[in-house]
Amino acid sequence: MRLTVLLKLAMRSVGRNTRRSALTSLAMVLGLALLVFSRSLAEGAYDKMIDSGVRMGSGHIAIQAPEYLETGKLEHRLEAGVVRLASEVANDVLRESLLSWAPRLSVNGLASSTAAAVPVRIEGVDPELERAFSDIEDKLQDGRYLEAGDRLHAYIGTELAQRLDVQVGNRFVLTAQTSTGDVEGQLVRVAGIFQTGIPEVDQSLIHIPIDTAREWLHTPGATSTLAFLLNESELTDIGVETLQLKLENERQIRVLGWRESSPELAAAIRLDSTGNYIFHSILLAIIALAILNAVMISVLGRRREFGVLQAMGLTGVETGFVVFLEGLFLTVISGVAGISAGLLFTWGFFRDGLDFSIFMEDGIEFGGQFMEPIIIPHFSVEQLLISTFVVVTIGMISSLYPALRASKLDVAEAMKFEQ
Amino acid sequence: MKTAVRTTSLWKIYPQEPDPVEAVRGISTEIETGDFVAMAGPSGSGKTTMLNMIGGLTRPSRGQIWIGDREITEMSDKDLAQLRLERIGFVFQSYNLLPVLTALENAEFTLLLSGIPKDERRKKVLELFNKIGLSGLEDRKPGKLSGGQQQRVAVARAVVANPALILADEPTANLDSKASADLLDVMERLNQDHGTTFLFSTHDPRVMERSRRLITLVDGQIESDERRNHLSVSP
Repeated sequence: MRLTVLLKLAMRSVGRNTRRSALTSLAMVLGLALLVFSRSLAEGAYDKMIDSGVRMGSGHIAIQAPEYLETGKLEHRLEAGVVRLASEVANDVLRESLLSWAPRLSVNGLASSTAAAVPVRIEGVDPELERAFSDIEDKLQDGRYLEAGDRLHAYIGTELAQRLDVQVGNRFVLTAQTSTGDVEGQLVRVAGIFQTGIPEVDQSLIHIPIDTAREWLHTPGATSTLAFLLNESELTDIGVETLQLKLENERQIRVLGWRESSPELAAAIRLDSTGNYIFHSILLAIIALAILNAVMISVLGRRREFGVLQAMGLTGVETGFVVFLEGLFLTVISGVAGISAGLLFTWGFFRDGLDFSIFMEDGIEFGGQFMEPIIIPHFSVEQLLISTFVVVTIGMISSLYPALRASKLDVAEAMKFEQ
Repeated sequence: MKTAVRTTSLWKIYPQEPDPVEAVRGISTEIETGDFVAMAGPSGSGKTTMLNMIGGLTRPSRGQIWIGDREITEMSDKDLAQLRLERIGFVFQSYNLLPVLTALENAEFTLLLSGIPKDERRKKVLELFNKIGLSGLEDRKPGKLSGGQQQRVAVARAVVANPALILADEPTANLDSKASADLLDVMERLNQDHGTTFLFSTHDPRVMERSRRLITLVDGQIESDERRNHLSVSP
């Protein structure tokens, strides 16, 4: 019964000074709406970065030889038998969540034309599988991407084309150390020219058909990496764990998640995420101060009222509890309103994506990956629950001190206080 | 006659630099149940401090206080709060109604805290409002009531739970003559009808005139204590 009375007093008190409550709520609503908006935008950006990163890189999950990540050398490759086994197991284990997969045979080498010789990263790819896997075909500037049946074709970046002074249809020579230890050359013709916007990629990456690469490098059926793309990046860890378990007896195999195979991207996201957490912490601190300020002013201005409550028979603890409830109500009401406003605002205006092309016309490089200038916000239920929990906790903590002050009131002194 | 309040060698000393303030200095007195007592005296004579100590709102520096047969100076804050709820009603100079509650809700507040069911609460308050001329004002918030009306609501709040003792600190100080007289009539009637003990602190000669006992304090001590044998409820 007394709890009902305390609840009623607290609720009425929140509603009593409507202007102050409204201003405090407004500050919280705006702060939380901004929090939800920026968080969903950051999540959306990370989604995009990861998607772009794994497509251009080694997928959400990569299967390689144990030493390959560190050396990147041809000698650390998966031989034909292992490739067959690994791809079968992986396709079986990941079948529910598998979007696509692609084998790649990679080697460092030299691209030479009459104009220049440029160090390059040569990737032998299966054109059909690669087309479904990576979005490099979308970066096409001239010519076409590789096709099934191509033999001596190459897909190169714009900067490399400039340096080699070649165009679509021109020929140049690739040179690399083969599996036999000899340095051998391979003549190829430019099928297409791409531009990702990432200078390192545009000046050094070359795609050639994987069969051509295997023949040239004397590595029949071998690959450097089996890359797997999943429906959702959240499934990476469980996928890696399951595959590691299934392939634990295969000593020539190492299963990696994208955070391991693309450490630059993972580090960039971690760094950006830390910055976001600091920004969000500042926002939450401002919200906490707004609550503390509102409740504290309310307490200081109502000392006589609290004195009366205690004179009527309320204990100090109960009086403090009324104040605590006031702060909590203010927080919960504003919290729900703020998070809802943030969701509605973000969803209402930016569900199709927020266009940053005014700041970065052709996209931006982030963590070694190219990011499109349009970012689609991503609402994470987990993040929303955490935000709600944090806001309510902040409300409770911010109300504790004013509640303590009210509970420790000297009633006789409080009665002298002019309201 | 039973004793409603008894104090023995009651002191209240406020620690203050350079010299502590002795607000109440060794007062021993008894108030009989059902009495209508005024404590008068100049400002700073210790009237309000006495009321606050008797009501358990502030603790004495020395001495003892009994409310009925219960000694209260060693009680915990929680027990004091319960004692106030069950046995003491307060009327303050500035009315001190809770602004977020209506007149009716203010008046029934102590009943609410005591866990009295709603119907019973409403019945008691409405009867009381009828008796003291507040009918029709039940749903008004304090801001929409005159000073006299607010003070009558405060009296209703103080007496509705039938406490043994009402402590009234300068209850007429903010009221005009008519409102003061009306309020005193209400209080005297309640005193007579219910046998509730009233203890006032006051400067107001009209209150002193209507009291049956007048205790005059000066510098924290009782200067005079006279019994007056009349009652003057307005017709």
